[in-house]
Order: sequence, then structure tokens, then C-alpha cells
Amino acid sequence: MRILLVQPAPFEDARLGLENTFWLSEPVGLTSIGTMVQDTHEVRILDMRLEKPATLPETLRSFQPDIVGTTAMTTDAYQAKAVMLLARQLLPDCLTVIGGHHATFMPEFYDEEYVDVVVQGEGELSFEDLVQIWDRALVADDKPDTRVLAVLQGARVHLPDGTWTEGSKPKWREIDDFPAPDRNLIQQYKGQYFFLAAKPLASIFTSRGCSFDCNFCAIWEFYDRKTRFLSAKNIADQMEACEETFLFLLDDNFLTNHTRLERLCEELEERKLGKYWMTQGRTDFIAKYPDLIARLSNVGLTGVLSGYETNDEDALEGLNKRSTLEANRKAAEILRKNGILSTGIFMVRPDFEVADFDALYDYIADLGVTFPLVTILTPLPGTEMFRKYRDQLLTEDFRLYDLLHPVIPTKLPREEFYKHYTRYRTVYRRSRNGWLTPRLAWKRRDFLMKLMPNMPRTIIQGLKYQKIQFDYRSYLRDEAGIIEDVRPAAPVPEEETTHAAG
Amino acid sequence: MPLVEESPTGFDARRFLADLRREVETHPGVNHTFLARIGTSPFTHEDYRVFGLQHYPLVGMFTGYMERLLIHAPDTTAKCWLAKVLVDEYGEGSDGDDHTILYRRFMTAAGVGPGEEDTVVLHPAVRDFIHTHLVLCSQRPFLVGLGALGPGHEWAIPRMFTPIIAGLERAGFTGDEIAYFKLHIEQDEHHAIWLEEALAGMITTPEEAAQVREGTLASLEARLRFWEGVQEQVVRWRQPGLGLAMSERTRQWLAGTNSWLGTWTTGLAVSTAVYRPQVHSLAQRIPIR
Repeated sequence: MRILLVQPAPFEDARLGLENTFWLSEPVGLTSIGTMVQDTHEVRILDMRLEKPATLPETLRSFQPDIVGTTAMTTDAYQAKAVMLLARQLLPDCLTVIGGHHATFMPEFYDEEYVDVVVQGEGELSFEDLVQIWDRALVADDKPDTRVLAVLQGARVHLPDGTWTEGSKPKWREIDDFPAPDRNLIQQYKGQYFFLAAKPLASIFTSRGCSFDCNFCAIWEFYDRKTRFLSAKNIADQMEACEETFLFLLDDNFLTNHTRLERLCEELEERKLGKYWMTQGRTDFIAKYPDLIARLSNVGLTGVLSGYETNDEDALEGLNKRSTLEANRKAAEILRKNGILSTGIFMVRPDFEVADFDALYDYIADLGVTFPLVTILTPLPGTEMFRKYRDQLLTEDFRLYDLLHPVIPTKLPREEFYKHYTRYRTVYRRSRNGWLTPRLAWKRRDFLMKLMPNMPRTIIQGLKYQKIQFDYRSYLRDEAGIIEDVRPAAPVPEEETTHAAG
Repeated sequence: MPLVEESPTGFDARRFLADLRREVETHPGVNHTFLARIGTSPFTHEDYRVFGLQHYPLVGMFTGYMERLLIHAPDTTAKCWLAKVLVDEYGEGSDGDDHTILYRRFMTAAGVGPGEEDTVVLHPAVRDFIHTHLVLCSQRPFLVGLGALGPGHEWAIPRMFTPIIAGLERAGFTGDEIAYFKLHIEQDEHHAIWLEEALAGMITTPEEAAQVREGTLASLEARLRFWEGVQEQVVRWRQPGLGLAMSERTRQWLAGTNSWLGTWTTGLAVSTAVYRPQVHSLAQRIPIR
């Protein structure tokens, strides 16, 4: 059988948001499920974030896949639908399959005539079963129908009479037992993935799930409260197998399980891979294990993305974060001391008043993280917060669920809210950022030299992005026609939208 | 009943047409990702306003292409087919409202103000589409032009408009407001049948078939570029220009240097700020040969 797996394009290229502008990671989810079935079937992956729009219909026409699979986070939800509609239009007999976060938490969103299967939860095992069943069905019958898939575990199946099966818990397995995702499946995009100036960038998943239960995050629900880890040896093997110098460990919370990380240090100290890697982790872990962080830094840890969230102890508790402001402060300091780039995510809440914005920005400026990113608290599908605020949502247009638009009512008028939100650019000017002291720059000289070739591109991206990011009217225009009573903002006079470079 | 007799040369025009129709219906310009996005995404009236302003010039120009092609038509059979379609385009079958009037109804519903279409910034792909078709219908052999307007349009439009209608209905447009699109699904299905009959008689050799295919594919390639341009306008209008963030003074200074750097940076900043060269002026620049 021929199987086409498609990573959808963003709704709008260069749209507000970190992903795709400063960070483009490999489509590891698709590579992983493709690897499960590639020994017996012809698998092709299309990353539409890196392709022209016409490539999708061209590939459907020339490759003639029997199965078209796609995936989506919430903001890509419509794009994934478009992939399947197009597949159905061009190849009426092909089976269309959707998986990923949005499909898991809002399966009914995909109750469409052109969708055949909605995989919920982890996709590898369900997809492997699906492919086997469909392959057998195609051998037996030229035009099988989806009833043969009704037994599938971890998926809802669209039956020929228009009804859907109930779905069931996904199958799961220890992740050490899965084959390592075969990066040859995305060979054609080699060298095009990046995080800031770290390019080319490879991506690896070394764990699944999170043992915390923050109410704005759905990770722990997606993995049914289970956390599983790849062994230290397996991580080191996968890192070694990558040709790229820069790696991103995509785990939602890599900095956990102290023993595993100690073993990883041993493996990497022994192998001396010369790789520079970045990941995501909690500040309380960093604060608790400064020696481990120093050791990880010595084996290539060069960047950590963490949710610092807020300047308010009560708010941290309200988010169920189970961390403290003291942990945030210590973490920023430890990362700085070790020459590790810290990307800090902060949240403004829709109920913010002017003084709350001031207090948050003062806090960020004083904290000294390398790249502070300020987002807006968004009740994402699948989270406790979404269930709590569902009846207050101003829209279910998922274009706006990008952490940059309040989708519940704001205390300040929206225009006012965005004016204060976009003030966060001042943080960059005021930030006490000691990352690049001469001593640390010297210590990190090899890493910095390797970043140099891509620095101009990153700076240009940054300048272009600033223009969108810090213009409050662009946020209002995003809402026009979507959130009631918000009219298009007046066209922006040129002199007001431009600012001095940097 | 066929409009014309079948080819006496033995060339299997029916088979050629069946293959061509399949090629049209699976062409990426007809199955563009943007159309699938319209069929599945909650674009708003504001988004469709941008869409309409970019699409309208094509609507307005279609009869112009046909009139040019009519002059070229080698015989009454061809003239007859073109005239039939033209009469529909002029408004027969839609209570005398020609297609631009129907389209304006949609644009008004989407929020386009009177005369706004004359000042809108057209994406270069829109101008390219018009230019390509003017050339195909005026300066290329008749069958090339016929390929562009016949199979390149009549077989393509019902397939392209189906997801557009779904998107417009989702956005809350009424049947009356989107009559232009609905009418085209019905009319173009009739036109497609007439067309197939007419073409079956007109194409008698592989060379003639090649001319029809050439025009068809040229039209579809222009269509592909057109949808990419419209998509860019529709998904990006909410953002400020993506030029480099720099002060106006700096930009003027750079432009003043007339250096490659100045050209490059100002080009980035104002790349979309080229006001619409009137479509008529495009037409005047392409005489009928």
C-alpha cells in the first residue's frame, strides 16, 4: 500500500506565534508512525510547512496513496481538515485518517463526510493495526468499506451509514520498545529545521507524558496520566545517530527523573558527541538540582524552554503549577550561571488590569531570562481550564487559540488590553540579562561560532516579527468578524508601524 | 443532438477529451489547497471581502476574453458555441443580470463599498492571470485560446466553486448573495456539455488536440498562481506589512542611495503597495492579432 502522511501548513505563514517563525521542528509524530509501517508499505511524508501549497494536490495525483494521514494541534485544526477534503476530492477511494492533540480532545470536530478515522491518543499502535486491517481489506475487495475498521482500538471510525464508532482507549507500550523514528522519511527536508539560529536542527522525543497536572495544559490528560521514558542509552544512541550538531529534545518535560538524567550525563560524557541540545523543563527541577544542570550543560545542554508563567504566587497555585516564584528566580540564575539560553514563557490573564501588566513586566525584566515570551492564558481544548470556561468562550474559531488572543472576556476593553499586552517589548530593553558575560561567551565559544552562520536570518526574522508582534492593531484585526463587537482596526499608518531596528 | 459532425480523419477526439477532462479535474490549480481551506475553515465576511476584491477582475474580464476569441473563431460552429456561452455571461438565464452584477451582489454582502474594486491593490498573480488569458485569446492560435476558455474554465469552475460555496454558506451568505457561484455550477455544467460536443468536431488531428491542451494547461497554471496569490491576500490581510521594521527615515535614506540594498529593503517593505494598474490598460497593451 502507499501511505501519505501530511504535516499541515500553518494557517498563515509568518503569523503571530513562536512556531514556524523562530522554531520549526521535525514532524516527529508522523515520522514515528511512518516508521511503524514502512517495512511493509511505501510511506511518504509531506511537510507542508516547507512545501508550496500546490505540492499537496500534485503529490496526491502522482503518488495515489491508499491512505492519507494527517495530524493537528488546535491552531492547525482546519488545515488538517483541508488536507483530508482534498484527498477525498482527488482520490475518492483513499482512506483519510486524522490524529494528534486536537483530534484526541475534540474528535467530534472531525465528524465530516471526508474523514474516515479519528485516532485518539498515541497513534503508533492504532495506526499499525489500521494499516494491517486496511491492507487485508484491499486484498480481499477493491473497494472495502470502513466497517472492517470498527474493531480498531484507540480510534473512532466513520461507518458507511454515516455513524461513528464510540472509540476506545488507545493501546500503549513502553517507548523503548518502539523503533526509533526513521529520519530518512524526511530526508528531503534535511537542513531546513531550526530553533532560532540553531540550524540545521534534529528533533527527538525521549519521554511521553508529564507527572504534573497544570490546569492549562493537556499533556497529562493526553497520556492518561502516565509518564514513560526512553532509557538514557537509547537517548544517547538516537543523539549519536543524528548528523546534525543541534538537537531539540521535544519532551514536554525533559527535566524530570533525576536518575535517568544522571545516567544520560554518564553516557554523553563517555561518548563525547559534540552536540548542542535544547529542551523543555520545569523551573522547580532546575532550582532543585543545580549540580545536575551544570553537568548537563557540560554535555551539551545549551537551551531550556520553561514556563515561568507569572509573578504571582497565588496565580501559580491557581494554575496548579506546583512551583514557586523562588524556584523561578533560582532557575533563571542557575541557567544564566551555566551559560544556558533560557526561554521563559509568561502568561497574562484576561482579567489583568493595568497594574497587573506593570507588575508582570517588572518581574520579567528583573528575572533575567534570555528570551522572555509573553503569552495570553488560553483555555485549550482538552484542559481543565477549557471545561471550566467553555460557557464563557467568545469564539470556537481555533485560529485564535494560539496563546496570543484572549478567547474569554477581558476585564479591560480589548483595545486597551492589547495596548498593554504589546508593551511587553519594553521588557527586552529593561531586561537584566547576564547570559553573555565575557566569561560565559568564552566558555560557550564553540557553540556561539556554530550559531553565527544563521544569525543574520534570525535577526531579520526577529525584525519582521516585531512588526506584527508589537502592533496592538494587528491583534484586533485578527479578531475582526470572529469575536463579536470587534471591528477591523483602521489601516496602520506607516510611521506608526515602524520602529528602529532592534 | 451534436452541434457538429464527428471528425472524419480518424483521430479519436472523444478519447482525447476524456483524458483532458481528467487532467483538468485533477489539476492542482483546480484542486488548490486554498479551495479546500475555504471548504473547511471558518473564513469570515471580512476574509471574503478580500477574496472578492481579488477575484472580481477575473469575473469582469471573462466576457472580454470571449469577445476577443470570437473574432478569431474560424467557422460558424465555433462562433456558435462561443456565442451561446457569451449570451449566458451577458445575463440570459440570470434574469438579465450579467455576471459582474451578480458578483457585485456578493461583494456588497461581504462589505465591499461602491467603487472600492477600482482602488484595491491587486496581487501580481491576479494581473498575471488576466495578462495570460488576454494573450492566449488574442495572440495565439484559436484552439489555444479555446482550450483556455473552454476546458480551462468550463470543466474547472464547477469543481472549484463547490468548496467555495460550502465556505460561503458556512460564513452565513444567503443563496441570493452567492447566486454568482451557484449559477456557475449549473451553467458551466451545461456549457461543458456543449463544449465537449463542439470540441469533438473541431479537433481532427493530434496537432489541433495539442493546441487545445496547451491552452488548457496554460490557463490552469495561471489559475494555480492566482489561487496562491489570493490565499496570500486572504490569510495575511490582518497583519501589517511584513517588511523589515525600520524607521521611515531610514527607509527613505536607503531608497535614496539607489543601491542594491536600498532596492531590496524598500522592495520588501512596499512589495504589495503597488496600486492597481487598471485592467483596461492591460487589455490595451495586448492587441488582437
